[in-house]
Amino acid sequence: MKILVPVKRVCDPDNANKVKVSADGATVTSDGLEWKPNPFDEYAVEAALRLNENAPKNEKLGETLVCSLGPAEVAQTLRQALAMGADRGILIDATDGQLDTTVVARALKALVDKEKPDLVLMGKQTVDGDSNAVGQTLAEMLGWPMATFAMTVSTNDGGKTLTVGREVDTGVLTLKVTLPAVVTVDLRIVAPAGIKNGATPADHKYNEGARYASLKGIMQAKKKAIDQLKLSELGIDTATSSAYPKFELPPARTGNCVFVETVDDLLGKLRTQAKAI
Amino acid sequence: MIEWSEEHKAIAQAVRRFVEDEIKPRRQELEFGDTPPYELLRKMIRTFGMGELQLARFAAQIEREKRGGGEPAAKDPEASDSPESWRARADAVAMQIIPTIEICRYCPGMVTAMGVSIGLTVGTIMTRGTTAQKERFVPALLTMEKIGAWAITEPGSGSDAFGSMQATAKRDGAGGYVLQGSKTFITNGPYADTIVFICKLDEGNAAKERKVLSFILDKGTPGLTQSKPLRKMGQHSSPTGELFLEDVRVGKDRLLGETEEREYRAGAKETFSSERTGVAAMALGIVEQCLSLSIDYAKNRVQFGRPIGEFQLIQQKLALMEVARMNIQNIVFRQIELAGHGRRTTLAEASAGKLYCARAAMEVALEAVQLFGGNGYMAEFHVEQLCRDAKVLQIYAGTDEIQTLQIARDLLKA
Repeated sequence: MKILVPVKRVCDPDNANKVKVSADGATVTSDGLEWKPNPFDEYAVEAALRLNENAPKNEKLGETLVCSLGPAEVAQTLRQALAMGADRGILIDATDGQLDTTVVARALKALVDKEKPDLVLMGKQTVDGDSNAVGQTLAEMLGWPMATFAMTVSTNDGGKTLTVGREVDTGVLTLKVTLPAVVTVDLRIVAPAGIKNGATPADHKYNEGARYASLKGIMQAKKKAIDQLKLSELGIDTATSSAYPKFELPPARTGNCVFVETVDDLLGKLRTQAKAI
Repeated sequence: MIEWSEEHKAIAQAVRRFVEDEIKPRRQELEFGDTPPYELLRKMIRTFGMGELQLARFAAQIEREKRGGGEPAAKDPEASDSPESWRARADAVAMQIIPTIEICRYCPGMVTAMGVSIGLTVGTIMTRGTTAQKERFVPALLTMEKIGAWAITEPGSGSDAFGSMQATAKRDGAGGYVLQGSKTFITNGPYADTIVFICKLDEGNAAKERKVLSFILDKGTPGLTQSKPLRKMGQHSSPTGELFLEDVRVGKDRLLGETEEREYRAGAKETFSSERTGVAAMALGIVEQCLSLSIDYAKNRVQFGRPIGEFQLIQQKLALMEVARMNIQNIVFRQIELAGHGRRTTLAEASAGKLYCARAAMEVALEAVQLFGGNGYMAEFHVEQLCRDAKVLQIYAGTDEIQTLQIARDLLKA
């Protein structure tokens, strides 16, 4: 099956405390921060590769496309996915200021119209903005079925439908979606038995987590194509529908620790001192 | 080469992730316990497809040998003089060096164990063995399915490796040999499956006149005893032991090269060169880690009301560590470039590089301990281990003193 996986680079979440706000509060500055693929997107790449392979035979069964919106450096993020085994990359040149949920979803829709994948598989959210909205918006724009927070995906009916186990607050909700569809993945999709595609034997145990790129994969990735597109060339409305008027860091923690004897004491202090309730 | 390429950085990043996920959490058991490193090394080799790459290169070389040299196979990217093949050769070397650097940030001993098995043991078989011997012993060593050891040092022979060597081989009169002797400080000795044993052919002549030969032995060969790991100062993730040979009977197929005419000393310089060049990458990993830990500590450790990094004496330590890091990195880059151009490092140059890198790593690691103060002396802080690990770089693969002699000898020979 042909799978499109959108991938976003994010500031290394381990260094989130180094994020700074510009003096006028207009932007968040990312100077000096390391970039990493959004972890949920990396899981989506892994899930796509598992869906598209016979693992023990090391055989490819379909095409995995990865795409990203951002400046030219985003190519490195795409190369990482190509090194893991994705087949082709698409880079849509854009600046952070040009993008929001709606614009990204419109751009992805334009790509879907062009590439006609059977499945758009993506992270449930990015760990920078945490909006958790692009997948849902895209499905709506496409008029495709959607399953979010997937923890298991298996293919049925000769690859015409998917059974998706969704992680919800009350347990696991199982959905059957007809392709083409949009599926967003959660952390557990990369558990050893998260994906069943009918080709890799059901008892095959994958390693937990996204695969490491092999040395050969890394060297081959530089030869794989990354198509370059411009946001303005996609023929979409590029007006953003959201704006950030101002950023400010949360107040520094005082570090004061108050011990209380009873629950009533606690509630009282929360009311009168902290004014939190 | 003046900088790592994007691919090199991608490899370093991938290996670093593996090292931090798989090796770092096991540092206690590897460096302060008796857990051998082999399962983790095999997992790394499998994960990154290193074995497949090595086996493909091995197959290409065997094919070249069987053809008797001559024209390279069309699909062998490393066998021509085009810029692409320079790059391919350089990248092949870089792909061995980068994991070395990354592992050495945490457990240099693991690199010693891997280097002796895949570098020295395989290297010796590849330069001295017959094609049949290579095909028989090398593939399992390249994937680390089998562990290799290279046995030259003896209780009474260290720097004077050949002169004082006591181990012997005697012809058994039926085409085979009887081997005797004891070896010590043998990396992987306690666990090795395939051992290159270096000894002198005793023909009843004086010890000084004897030829030096090498044999390949399997674990479990009658008469061969492999000791338990020896206690040592550092590099605990590299098991080191003794070997005892008592009337070990082997056929001629175990004599490397299957001829007594291939004197071991004749090609020993190549082995020593390759052993010595490997130390630069190890030193780089140790120095990079010591520096990065020291920078973090200097920024965060507060004394007299400010981070100690604001004091000039601490700044000087960091600056000198950075100078060492730059120099060692340049030596590593030069090795990669030379390999790309198909040029071997001369023994004198290999010695000079090894001497510098080993000393620099030791100095940087000691300064890192000093910078960390009391914390640096505690096992809880990583620099303590790296400092103990660095010391052996000045001792194994030829002591600093031997490297110095070799450099001077080369300067004065004309």
